[in-house]
Amino acid sequence: MSHFHPPLSAESRNFCRRTRREFLWEAGAGFTGLALTGLLNLDGFFASTANAEPTAGKRVNPLAPRPPHVPGKAKSVIFLFMYGGPSQVDTFDYKPELYRLDGKTIAVKTFGRGGKKNEGRVVGPKWAFQQYGQSGKWVSDLFPHLATCVDDIAFLHSMTADSPIHGSAMLQMNTGKILSGSPCLGSWVNYGLGSVNENLPGFVVMLDPTGGPISGAKNWSSGYMPATYGATLMRSTGDPILDLHRPEGMSEAVQRRLLDTLQDYNADHLATRPDNSNLAARIASYEMAFSMQRHAPEVVDLTQESTATRELYGLDDKRTEDFGRRCLLARRMVERGVRFVQLYAGGAHNDDNWDAHGDLVKNHTYHAGRTDKPIAGLLKDLKQRGLLDSTLVVWGGEFGRQPTAEYAAGTGRDHNAYGFTMWMAGGGVAGGTTVGETDELGAAAISDRLHVKNLHSTVLTQMGLDSDTLTYFYGGLNQKLVGVEGADPIRSII
Amino acid sequence: MTDSLSLPQKVRRYLRSVPHARGTTLSLLLLSGLLATHRGFAQSAADRTEISKNPAAASGKGFTLSDKDRSHWSFLPVQSPSVPTDAAHPIDAFLQARLKAQGLRPNPIASKRERIRRACYDLTGLPPSPREVEDFDADASPNAWEKLIDRLLDSPHYGEKWGRHWLDLVRFAESNSYERDGAKPHAWRYRDYVIRSFNADKPYDRFLREQLAGDEFPDPSPDAITATGYYRLGVWDDEPADRELARLDALDDLVTTTGQVFLGLTIDCARCHNHKLDPIPQSDYYRLLGFFNNINPYKNGGPTDELELFNSPAERESHRDRINELNRQRADAAGRVKEFEIRIRQELARESANGTASSDAKTKPTEDEARRALGPDTFATYAEAKKSLETLQKQSLPVEKALAVTEAGTSAPETFILLRGNPNLKADRVEPGFLQVLGGLDPVIPPPGKNAKSTGRRTVLANWIASRDNPLTARVMANRIWQHHFGRGIVTSPNNFGFQGDKPTHPQLLDWLASAFIQSGWRMKSMHRLIMTSAAYQMSSRGQPEALRVDPANDLVWRFNMRRLTAEEIRDSFLVITGTLNPKMYGPGVYVDIPKEVLAGQSIPGNGWGHSSEEEQARRSIYIFAKRSLITPILESFDLAETDRSSPVRFTTLQPTQALGTLNSQFVNREAGILAKRLQHEAGGDLAAQVRLALYLATSRTPTEKEIRRGTHLIETLQSQEHTSPETALKYFCLTVLNLNELVYLD
Repeated sequence: MSHFHPPLSAESRNFCRRTRREFLWEAGAGFTGLALTGLLNLDGFFASTANAEPTAGKRVNPLAPRPPHVPGKAKSVIFLFMYGGPSQVDTFDYKPELYRLDGKTIAVKTFGRGGKKNEGRVVGPKWAFQQYGQSGKWVSDLFPHLATCVDDIAFLHSMTADSPIHGSAMLQMNTGKILSGSPCLGSWVNYGLGSVNENLPGFVVMLDPTGGPISGAKNWSSGYMPATYGATLMRSTGDPILDLHRPEGMSEAVQRRLLDTLQDYNADHLATRPDNSNLAARIASYEMAFSMQRHAPEVVDLTQESTATRELYGLDDKRTEDFGRRCLLARRMVERGVRFVQLYAGGAHNDDNWDAHGDLVKNHTYHAGRTDKPIAGLLKDLKQRGLLDSTLVVWGGEFGRQPTAEYAAGTGRDHNAYGFTMWMAGGGVAGGTTVGETDELGAAAISDRLHVKNLHSTVLTQMGLDSDTLTYFYGGLNQKLVGVEGADPIRSII
Repeated sequence: MTDSLSLPQKVRRYLRSVPHARGTTLSLLLLSGLLATHRGFAQSAADRTEISKNPAAASGKGFTLSDKDRSHWSFLPVQSPSVPTDAAHPIDAFLQARLKAQGLRPNPIASKRERIRRACYDLTGLPPSPREVEDFDADASPNAWEKLIDRLLDSPHYGEKWGRHWLDLVRFAESNSYERDGAKPHAWRYRDYVIRSFNADKPYDRFLREQLAGDEFPDPSPDAITATGYYRLGVWDDEPADRELARLDALDDLVTTTGQVFLGLTIDCARCHNHKLDPIPQSDYYRLLGFFNNINPYKNGGPTDELELFNSPAERESHRDRINELNRQRADAAGRVKEFEIRIRQELARESANGTASSDAKTKPTEDEARRALGPDTFATYAEAKKSLETLQKQSLPVEKALAVTEAGTSAPETFILLRGNPNLKADRVEPGFLQVLGGLDPVIPPPGKNAKSTGRRTVLANWIASRDNPLTARVMANRIWQHHFGRGIVTSPNNFGFQGDKPTHPQLLDWLASAFIQSGWRMKSMHRLIMTSAAYQMSSRGQPEALRVDPANDLVWRFNMRRLTAEEIRDSFLVITGTLNPKMYGPGVYVDIPKEVLAGQSIPGNGWGHSSEEEQARRSIYIFAKRSLITPILESFDLAETDRSSPVRFTTLQPTQALGTLNSQFVNREAGILAKRLQHEAGGDLAAQVRLALYLATSRTPTEKEIRRGTHLIETLQSQEHTSPETALKYFCLTVLNLNELVYLD
């Protein structure tokens, strides 16, 4: 893969047949000429298939692995999306003052779904905090298992986003923009690096059993990039990928015969059109599909995992079984080279996710309870297998919650994009660290303010991609995940 | 900040960081877009310094036009170049002049079978029927090809194919995206309007004027109103974090789409600062925005988004008369009821005074009271009067409505340049105006007429765009027509004719086409005839060794470009091949079955997705309800256009998940089963005849004996070796046929 093709050779210009953007896509480039290198690679596929036909066409796989801009620390990302927005002051952002103010109405600027307000009734944190690890990090009693991992975690207490409304904030956390129609973080990573496992998608999303998040597929689409870079939904039980299973009653042997016949027809068709590489690529895609059918189900087959591992993720407990299974699958996927895995903790609407407008204690007890042990298990398992250094784990929601109550009575908190907590672990991120602060109420970020763009820039940086040079030409502009203004990675944790 | 590096520093840093790149040439960097990126950066840093020193500089004041800017090829008037004498057809003459210079020869004419297939898909998006192929084959007359083209242009399927190209451009969808992704009211009428307009060969200048300002036409027709749905097709967040920003984002969507679709310019790049590459100052952006600034913000329905449709002023009058009549009847009936109730109350009051009953004059009398007060006969009349009032109140006079644009009256708010695009940083006030580089005249906006409901600004804009003197309009559209015939435009960046866009491969040909387009009266169908009768369009797509070496990208058009069918063409072809396509046109969107695994991705699975009958589901893909967050899997997989922004070129990705879908999905397997039944029905019991028919239907050509044997061999082997039933074996063969490369790639 290190061989270099001069890009203006007849061969490579073959790909430049349509628009500039399409060319750049087919060349996989837009950021560097060297991306052509990986793309022009022939992986010897034709020679190895059951139906090998000598063909003149070269295979262009837009997801072929590409070298990073600089060697990256991380090879994969697991994004644990706490959909709905967990409350920072009840989880990781310890605000001792806030307990004392419980029930008092104070002046504080907030902006949530209930609009902008200048004062509110404080809801004191509903859980006690304790210090853990060598770093002495304060963690609430919601996360007894995760608390034992704090020395591997970098906490980002000063996160901000542009919108306190689910729809647009979700889009921003996933695509960088509050407007609909842009590619996701996972799309950018796959566009930049390709995928090393052809039997699995490069960008996988696993949803909560209660349903998808609001705006559905917009949260994992490739936007203006080709569909190649959109996520594939995978399920933790049953048929893991849509249409992966053969139709009922069709055996593998039968399907093989169909494919052999199909490829014979296709080979005849290709013989008189040998210069069209797309025809050869489509022939290859059928063999890849056949191979995926064989190998993709293996990734969801947890019988290969030991009892100890299963228990580590909480698969033996009904409460943690679902998220534990998905965390374990995430590990199995990154082991097999999947670049970007996103797990949703929470789905659908209201209290099916972290959106605690009503009973805060009930909501957060439920969602923390079903994710705490699995996430801790994931971090420990990655570490014991030596995978944590090359796997960047990101935790957080689309925003946080306000320190004050939303309604006259009750403990429900409204949305808060002025300041909230996310964390990262592994992938070369320094553990036991903390960045930024919110004010003494936990209402707004006041020092080392971070924007969603900085988080995205950090993810790209750890993957060996430069967020300023990773561009995609679209709409007359070299588009970037972090926008035209650019954004720095969070240097203090890398 | 990395931006602070100079361009040479950035290049050096890049070369250091990338071992492979050392020693690479400048052309590589240019090709890769790296320099373009860094040029943008260098300017960005410079701009920022400028802003801090002098805010006015960013608002277009520091902008001057150079001769180089004005002489960019697409800003110069369209020429009518003289046609070279190399060939009989002008298009071939232009192409062959270039080919000759390179020592290349164009390919010979393709076979009749290849040409009819090419023409049918290009003009209707559907394969020819066996009968059509045979008829064309048998027609030895010298104008057989012209007759075929005329027949296809007359087909109602033409509008369904070419309308789809337009819908891609104007980001057509029937829902709003975001959390609720709610349905837009009557959006399907805009889709139907587009199909009808193409079928009617509506002149393009009228077509664009209808969309931009149809509501401002005198006595606008239903088409003219429906056309303005153009303004309402974009994404819409019903709970934006910042309302003023959301309003500006919606206007930006209009500037972006209008600029790219009608003018082929990325004017939207000048929202926050002067355009980095094109000679478009920030003030031009806000001058253009000024034409739209009085538009009522979208609300997803109600009187500002939905307009009633009448075919004539007389029809509108008569509807008004019917409403007045109904209101009169309602008033009469209410009066009668009221009279009775007064009588009842008076009667009850008398009773009350006599001490026989108590009554409250304020409440409505109960039935018992009424009966007692009126006596049985009069009570019956009263009951009848009440019933008749109820009936009249329930009665409605339904009138068709369209998704349309409206303005907030006849005077527009002021428009300001916004520094860095920030609504809180207002700079100079601007008046609506055209691009400076195209002359930049301040338009005269006539005062609104007596009955006007809007400022008339959009009419002025539409007329400027539709003018034959506008150097971009005809070029951009002529290029799109060429693009959809040859698989790529003469300018391969169809929405970007600016500095960053691609140069035309054949500038003279493009100008000649643009002027021919205008001279034809902006008629699309004339352009199709003109282009399709060229030898270039009818060429074979096969390779020539020498030409592949000299011009592998076929920039010089020495052969026809093969193309993969579009998502809709693939699905529609399956329906044609199985014989189940329902050709019904128009009307509200259709809901096809979507696997529950895909619905599970919604926060409320199945929400906003209905169920249509099997017959309805067999309609063409253009009629499937266009829901932004829920795309039909087979269409999504084969690269349906992105719905949120103008999409001038379809991708043609190749991924194994496409093969999974066409091998394993319920939809394709069902189609395979239907095809098997068709074969049994139409080809009788003979296996070879069944195989022959299946291959013929899929490829429009008579299969060879070898190909037929291959099919029968598969069917027999499945039965003998895999114990498959004869029916299932035939069905599996049909599944194989639906996956052929020859089916999805056009020669």
